[in-house]
Amino acid sequence: MQFPEDSGATGLVGTRDSLLVRARFFAILWRVSDPVIETQQLVKRYGRLAALDGVDIRLEPGAIGLLGPNGAGKSTLIKCLLSLQSFTSGEARLLGRPVRKEGREIRRRVGYTPEQDCHIPGMAGCEYVTYCAQLSGLPFRDARQRAHEMLDFVGMGQERYRKIETYSTGMRQRLKLAQAIVHDPEIVFLDEPTNGLDPKGQGQILDLIRGLWEVHGITVVLSTHLLHDVDRICDQILLLAQGRILVHDTLENLKARRKGAAEVAVNGREQETITAFEHQGWACELQPNGRIRVEHGAGDLRPMLEVLRAEKASLIEIIPSPNALEEMYVQAVENSHGPG
Amino acid sequence: MALVDTAYRHWTGRHQGLWWRRWVISENGIRASLANRWMRYLLVVCWVSALVEVAALFCVGQLLVADSLIVRLIPNTDAAIQAFVKGLTGWLEQHPEVSVRTTQNLLFYQFTTFLLSFNLIVITLTIPRLITRDLSSHAIVIYASKAVGRLDYVIGKLGIVVGMLTLTWLGPVVMAWFLGNLLAPDWHFFWHARAALGHALLFVGLGMLFLGVLALAVSAVSARSRATIGLWLILWLVGNAFVPFAEHSRPWLRHLSFRHNLDQAAVAIFQPKEDLQRAQTQIPILGDIVRRMTRQGPRRWQTDDAGSAFLALGIMVFASGLVLSSRIQRE
Repeated sequence: MQFPEDSGATGLVGTRDSLLVRARFFAILWRVSDPVIETQQLVKRYGRLAALDGVDIRLEPGAIGLLGPNGAGKSTLIKCLLSLQSFTSGEARLLGRPVRKEGREIRRRVGYTPEQDCHIPGMAGCEYVTYCAQLSGLPFRDARQRAHEMLDFVGMGQERYRKIETYSTGMRQRLKLAQAIVHDPEIVFLDEPTNGLDPKGQGQILDLIRGLWEVHGITVVLSTHLLHDVDRICDQILLLAQGRILVHDTLENLKARRKGAAEVAVNGREQETITAFEHQGWACELQPNGRIRVEHGAGDLRPMLEVLRAEKASLIEIIPSPNALEEMYVQAVENSHGPG
Repeated sequence: MALVDTAYRHWTGRHQGLWWRRWVISENGIRASLANRWMRYLLVVCWVSALVEVAALFCVGQLLVADSLIVRLIPNTDAAIQAFVKGLTGWLEQHPEVSVRTTQNLLFYQFTTFLLSFNLIVITLTIPRLITRDLSSHAIVIYASKAVGRLDYVIGKLGIVVGMLTLTWLGPVVMAWFLGNLLAPDWHFFWHARAALGHALLFVGLGMLFLGVLALAVSAVSARSRATIGLWLILWLVGNAFVPFAEHSRPWLRHLSFRHNLDQAAVAIFQPKEDLQRAQTQIPILGDIVRRMTRQGPRRWQTDDAGSAFLALGIMVFASGLVLSSRIQRE
């Protein structure tokens, strides 16, 4: 749905370019001023079980991946930040405001897609998203316009006029995303947003989510146990296990720590290439997908490229630090369980 | 389908206030309730009843108009009716302030308690749409993640019951009072009938709030519609059927029936027995009829434990609050 350029009367303003500039500007402002999420010794207990055990984080705007195995405390952390659950002790601030005192005001500026399937029975998709916008304080006309706009954004067509009960899993995921961003939040929490989607649907949803930060300046917190999703769209990683933060860093830094390995796809002559690499003293392995995994141990790819050039290998693709996230994840989770 | 990332626009409008967001919840629930065919039938029944009440008030007023159709028809009726109407007409002429007050108070007492039964059916149909379905579909999480708190949610849902009862109870009562007095032969009827309106508003207002809170609590008890409707019917019908048995054994058990308590509250507010006794002293010609009505009249016209009834209603509201507080958690 396209809106006229002069739609200021309804509160929907600006061209795409000017909005992008504005989004970037506000994002930069955030970056140099306050963190979007800040917690100090955050503890959440269920009886004797600590779901969050002294969590200290300070997150800047961006696309933030919240990783961890099932039961790590990812969803609990999000719910505590949104004041959907009370926390036992500690402090939490979201968008610079204390969560305990200003939960309602914070939620007005925040979007959330819960992991579980939740909708209001008997409503059509567009009615539901309009209603959610109204609950966030948008006037009806703006809410209805925004609802249609967001349903376009997430790729829903005429099915928006059908009852939600008739929707497929993929449609429901898109609808959840639409209701989370319909009120134009500054930060959006997405709890397992690609659950139940086919690979094509997953790709589409992840592209949309990535665009929320990269194009529109909306901070995204993606909670998932799917490393591929995080690797694809996030620039900051927060790894949780057993209610504790194990890793908090940028994806770039994490990959830099894992430099020294790469995956190479060459057009034929795989065995000759492997032999050439092994002559350098590098461990090699031909993987089932035809790629060669090389442990070259160097800080960059130049030594590898020189070997490939000398070997006159026809290079198709080279992936630096493959599986860095996965290796970091496995190692961190194993360390958190302690020896044995 | 191609996904085109061009539809997103930032929104820079002004946010609506908290009460508006609460109203959104109420308005949405009322609209959904009115989509039910049976609810619309009930709405029609309630408003048609109001028109009947208007007709009754009109007939009473016409007794003061010498050449009205009703007065002309009286000689054709039997002697007892003629005597009754003659006495009533004389009373209206001699003590209009008392007679209008009394007749309208009695008529509105009957009307409000008559409509109460239909409103309990309205609530039966509304209950699943209050909280039950939100629990079953996890919509509570969606509400909780928006800019509304738990209290806002409950107030919004309470607004659904109050809104529905306004359409089927308060609205017909106020319309009947206004139209009935508008058609009266004298403008003073409005002034003399103010007590009837006051009593009706007080009773209907208290009833709406009480029934609203109770219906919310029942609706929050389970995530299954059949269970909550069943519980409501047990509280209403079984509780009501239990009253005559308790009356002879342990009278305090009658207060377990909220309908009995509401009836007692209505009697305490409207005081129909006092009106009849006043009529008995002021219109001797009606003495025998009135005496018979007050002595052998409906037992529900008499109240001997209004305080206990109000106390029982208060305890039920408190218990409902506890149920709501425990069932509607932040998540």
